[in-house]
Amino acid sequence: MSDHPILSIDGLIKQFPTKAGIVKAVDEISFDVATGDTLGLVGESGSGKTTTAQCILGIYPPTAGTISFDGTPVGVMFNRRNKELKRRIRIVFQDPGSSLNPKRTIKQILSVPLRVHKMGSSRERLSMMNQLLEMVGLPPQEYLYKHPQGIGGGEKQMVAIARALATNPRFVVLDEPTSALDVSVQGKIINLLKRLAEELDLTYLFITHDLSLMRNVATRVAIMYLGKLCEIAPTAEFFRAPQHPYTKMLLSSIPVVTSEEEALKPEKIISQGEIPSPVNIPTGCSFHLRCPERMPICSQIDPQMQVLGNGHVVRCHLFAEIPKATHG
Amino acid sequence: MQWEERRAELKLMLAQRRRGLAKGWYKYSRNPLAVVGLVVLCIIVLAAVLAPYITPYPEHAKPYTNFSAGSLPPSSTYWFGTDRVGRDIFSRVIHGYRFSLTIGIVVLGLGVAPGVILGLVAGYHQGKWIETVIMRITDVFLAVPPLVLALAITAMLTPNLMNQMMAIALVWWPWYARLVFALASSLRSEYFVREAELTGASKLHIMFKEILPNCFAPVMTKMTLDMGIVILVGATLSFIGLGVQPPKPGLGTMVAEGAKRLPGEWWGTIFPALAIVIVILAFNLVGDGLRDVFSVEEV
Amino acid sequence: MDGLLRIRDLHVGFRIFEGLLHVLNGVELDVREGERVGLVGETGCGKTTTVKSVLRVLPIPPARILGGEIQYAGNDVLKMSRRQMTLLRRHELTAIFQDPLQSLNPVFTIGTQLRDIVKDSAIGQGKRLSRQETEARCIQALQETGMPDPERIMTNYPAQLSGGMRQRICIAEALSTNAKLLLADEPTTNLDVTIQDQILRKLDELVEEKGASVVMITHSMGVVRDLTQRANIMYAGSIVETGKTHTLLEAPMHPYTKGLMASVPKLTGEGVSDGIPGRIPNYLDPPSGCRFHPRCEHRMEICTSAPPPLYSVGNEQRVACYLYREET
Repeated sequence: MSDHPILSIDGLIKQFPTKAGIVKAVDEISFDVATGDTLGLVGESGSGKTTTAQCILGIYPPTAGTISFDGTPVGVMFNRRNKELKRRIRIVFQDPGSSLNPKRTIKQILSVPLRVHKMGSSRERLSMMNQLLEMVGLPPQEYLYKHPQGIGGGEKQMVAIARALATNPRFVVLDEPTSALDVSVQGKIINLLKRLAEELDLTYLFITHDLSLMRNVATRVAIMYLGKLCEIAPTAEFFRAPQHPYTKMLLSSIPVVTSEEEALKPEKIISQGEIPSPVNIPTGCSFHLRCPERMPICSQIDPQMQVLGNGHVVRCHLFAEIPKATHG
Repeated sequence: MQWEERRAELKLMLAQRRRGLAKGWYKYSRNPLAVVGLVVLCIIVLAAVLAPYITPYPEHAKPYTNFSAGSLPPSSTYWFGTDRVGRDIFSRVIHGYRFSLTIGIVVLGLGVAPGVILGLVAGYHQGKWIETVIMRITDVFLAVPPLVLALAITAMLTPNLMNQMMAIALVWWPWYARLVFALASSLRSEYFVREAELTGASKLHIMFKEILPNCFAPVMTKMTLDMGIVILVGATLSFIGLGVQPPKPGLGTMVAEGAKRLPGEWWGTIFPALAIVIVILAFNLVGDGLRDVFSVEEV
Repeated sequence: MDGLLRIRDLHVGFRIFEGLLHVLNGVELDVREGERVGLVGETGCGKTTTVKSVLRVLPIPPARILGGEIQYAGNDVLKMSRRQMTLLRRHELTAIFQDPLQSLNPVFTIGTQLRDIVKDSAIGQGKRLSRQETEARCIQALQETGMPDPERIMTNYPAQLSGGMRQRICIAEALSTNAKLLLADEPTTNLDVTIQDQILRKLDELVEEKGASVVMITHSMGVVRDLTQRANIMYAGSIVETGKTHTLLEAPMHPYTKGLMASVPKLTGEGVSDGIPGRIPNYLDPPSGCRFHPRCEHRMEICTSAPPPLYSVGNEQRVACYLYREET
């Protein structure tokens, strides 16, 4: 899209030592996010998508690899990051019920980022809060002095979005922002996010397990399994012509509501077996035990990321003839 | 313009506060015993505050003797009878409540705040050395039975009301430290705390503005229930002779004095003892009711 | 096929500080033998309350049954004695809930819990099972749900198993009693997509084998489409539309159903609608007449008068909306 990516991840590894052994939550992933993009990150439990987001935000320091934001390496924990970085990278959490302090009013909640980043005098801050609430569609007079329990789930999430945008960020991590909401409220939030991305020139990392939602939100989709990236492609391509067997399995399992959608799904791959625990990652390709197109090489050697052209990369031995990729 | 906005804000906050109180009362009044406890407590507090004005013989609470009226059983002149030196037990019991309530308030006033702050700091810094230091000190205090510790401290100092209160406060703060420690360490992983950290808020802000408001309810409930126990510990110390000294009318002291004359002149011990029981019971019932008020019900 | 479960005009309320929450407002529901029926609705519409009313596990103060009847195989459940109710729950009804961690006792092994259920249900049928027989039945129940290595699972504690496995155990428990009616309240909402797919498939098979009826409660239209033969859409305490699942989803009639269908993100990628404007009503002071009318763009005068009955629009589809009044 634009000249240089706003976020660049290279060889990121994040391990956690546990009693059961070393858990490789993120196992050497590399990808870029272009400015203004919405990268969708998809994966099931144990995929490492949440840990990746946490490393980007600085909740955990990476075990290895680099994370670069706007050209500068930022792979450290948040308490060692400067305030400027905290201002520019923000997050909206999944559960609005617990991301807003129930004992504080919305005014108090919104004032925290404004005060921490010293944005204007206290009088100016009040008008900023009014603006923020109006921007997300909540009339300030009504909402400023309410407590979170007095407003609905969708509205709480809108407050969370207003809070995230309070510092004029450039990059926002959205961790399942609508998963806890009813479908009739979800649309409003999604369209709000899209509108704001355009108006304020934001880049999003959008994490969700809902592939149908992803289809309508992301500009590029990346899918992870057990700590590794399986496939990255522009959205339309990802859904039209998925290549990785796991992608196909996932897409064929989603419940859809219309027959047109049914026609778009790849052929049904019955998923078998449980998702292995991240402590017990299978040798070779971590997916081979469940893969319907498993070959002998798959249990021995871990595949490399291959370029398929058009911004489409996939990590699977089925495509081994094609030249290897270094970056997604 | 700004002043008007401020006024509107205050009005809204007041309206909310009032509604919250009404709702709180509704929840509280579902429990009839809690209401009884509250009524009894109000009567006791009022009586204690107005003691010099409403008791028939307020001067009996000060040094006074009238041996001709000594050891009289309960009658219409002396409702609870008189003690060995002729003092009206009823008036002394009401004055005794003043000591009991003072002990409760001062002890909790002295002990709760440091305990809460230490627990907050330890809970938020769980895993770091400061948590270990604070919690191990807390453990040391908790390892000693409260009464024994209070006894030891008071015995070392001159036995009087002030020292007694300080001793009990020293024994009491660890319980609050532990309570708030548990709350703070579990609240630490809440999303709203994480969000404040990621925003760059200072640790002080997070501890006192984000975590502490969520500890308010359990601490309040515990304080109310503790009042009764503190009063009991105070009375026990006085009973042993390490607290309120005679001729002051501490309830425990009165029980001790009258105990020598049981079972014959029962009124000297039984009435002060009953007074202790009633006030503790009242606090317990109110504490129960408060717990109901703070509980969140799911519909 | 006879009507196994008939709910007619069920009204349930909850007494709280501010007054009476009139949640269920005349629910009408039919389940025939061997039929799979969906109950679709968003948060707060009363689906769980309905199920709890059938099982009679509502907390009676503050809940109150304000009227109506629930007929199971011809008997009024609401008038049953405690003893009759216990027998009903033991032999005829069974339930699966959303969070398996809450349904399984964390301090007992799976084996202990399953054996209890199997023995109990056998005793109810007048049989006493030997230890081997109980064990064999337990293993069989686990195998039927597709669990690998059932013998080992019997010795595990719930915390040692994954979410998918726990839910499978709950299903095994539920179906081991050979009950006639299974009430499933969002059983797969918390699970990964591929696991959800597996489990729903298995549930489908088992239910088919045993000839049981199912009431599948969910907020996901996709799940309803895959699993049920008839669907009921619930809004604010009453059923607003009911009919054969495929016809209902392809051609929804009620404005709420239409709004819901439009809000669901589709794989076809046409973007997400803004959802349905407004919020669910306040049950303390619900709208008069049709409870959806404040949010409905087709609102008419008559909609505020009385709640509309379910009008038949042909093909076994019924809609509670005055727009379809003539077609009776």
